[in-house]
Amino acid sequence: MQLRRRVEGKRESAALRALTTSALALSGLARVAAADAPIDEVYTAYSFSTYEEDELESSKGLPLADHGRYEVTTHQAMLAAPITDQIDFSLEVTHEKMSGASPWYTVPDAAGAPVQVMSGPTIEDQRDDFLVKGNYFLENARLGLSSGYSSENDYTAMNLGFDGETHFNEKNTTLSGGLALSLDEIDPVDADLYPTRPGHETKQSYALNLGLAQILNRRSVVQSSLTYAFGTGYLSDPYKQTFAEGGVFFADERPSSRHALSWLTRYRRHIEEVEATVHLSYQFYYDSWDVSSHTIELAWYQSYGDSLQITPSIRYYTQNEASFYVNFLPLGDTGSGDYSSDYRLASYGALGFGIKGEYSFRTPWLTDIGWKLKLSYERYMSSADLALDGPAVEAPGLVNFNVFSVGISAVF
Amino acid sequence: MKRIVVCAAALALSACGTASWPEFKMPQLAEYTERPRSYLEICLEHDYLVRVKPWERAVLTRVDMAWAPDPLETARRNHTFFSKEASMPGGSAGGGGCGCN
Repeated sequence: MQLRRRVEGKRESAALRALTTSALALSGLARVAAADAPIDEVYTAYSFSTYEEDELESSKGLPLADHGRYEVTTHQAMLAAPITDQIDFSLEVTHEKMSGASPWYTVPDAAGAPVQVMSGPTIEDQRDDFLVKGNYFLENARLGLSSGYSSENDYTAMNLGFDGETHFNEKNTTLSGGLALSLDEIDPVDADLYPTRPGHETKQSYALNLGLAQILNRRSVVQSSLTYAFGTGYLSDPYKQTFAEGGVFFADERPSSRHALSWLTRYRRHIEEVEATVHLSYQFYYDSWDVSSHTIELAWYQSYGDSLQITPSIRYYTQNEASFYVNFLPLGDTGSGDYSSDYRLASYGALGFGIKGEYSFRTPWLTDIGWKLKLSYERYMSSADLALDGPAVEAPGLVNFNVFSVGISAVF
Repeated sequence: MKRIVVCAAALALSACGTASWPEFKMPQLAEYTERPRSYLEICLEHDYLVRVKPWERAVLTRVDMAWAPDPLETARRNHTFFSKEASMPGGSAGGGGCGCN
């Protein structure tokens, strides 16, 4: 039996993840108080996570069909270290295994309501991702350069990023900015078996970011940043189809360019009285496909002494549908123009709950290493009812999932 | 006319007496002989934005005060949400805007 290797549609996210991580990774280590020097300790970390989607509700799928969905296991490793008194670097490696089924297209049932057709549990792929970043520190500034490579069975992405920051007001104000680009190539599997799949496609992504952070007082800090992103090339999903009443299938067809703007504001406050730190963030997003979204996140880092920290968190997300989103096309549609039945472009809202525990300890007899053990769980639930501006008809493919993660890090 | 003068005087006095007004300092010659300030510095540098001194930063250097206290977790979560939602994450130079949901 021929093993059909298919991939989840959003593979390109590999490149984006790499780009995003590059800027975040070291800013996380450098911390918020704007140090103008390389990290002074070696930091290593490893994490293992499992991502598992709930089965499709039987009322939303075809009767008698397999309703199982997608699973991912992820190994991540990281090393960050100083090189000279002006330069540090970090290396991040990710290895993922993906398997299961993903939404393929939607068809109307007898009453005209959309029903999700799944791909069948044929996805079997893995992804390897390497990301290296270097920082060069000046008297009152930092310059960073990053480069990454991500490879899958049917997808490769190369990316390059440049970012920097400088300080004002005795390092109470930090201005940061960055530029990034990603060059991606996709070669969909089984293109010869499915006429709607292209043979070879490319896409290019560019992003420009500008942010301003301000220390408010001894315990709180705020940052606001604006990111403009532009994507061009093949932006459709080769593994999705759009069904037209009457039994015709068309390829997923999206505009060949996308302009997006996101505005993210983050706030951190430490409350000494209760030994806790609050993280609050809000992001507004809008793009040229008419997708707009709001994301609010709140996390409470509760310390118990020097060793234990428990962090509950909550996240709310809502988006409205892309201008070309359809569950299915009407009878007689000739398939001209843009359309997609990908549930990720539909209107919906999502709630996420997380809990994380971290235990820190030192081993002074072993070159004084500072260890941290981490354990976390996150639950994500999406539905049209949770949307700020809910649609009349819910996309049947909306996803719920669980993520378990364990990790260890060492500083020495 | 007299009323206007009285009002103006009262306003000026009340303004001068308000503690929240920034203190006006006569520019010293030395300030002009220092290196020229860039436009960015002129826009961003203000006394009231100097909120903490270096020795008051103990809390701000805590790991849990960082924008991304756990880089691997941040990367993984951003990747997940980006893969399952139409938006892309902000906050860095990343965000190539895949556009391929």
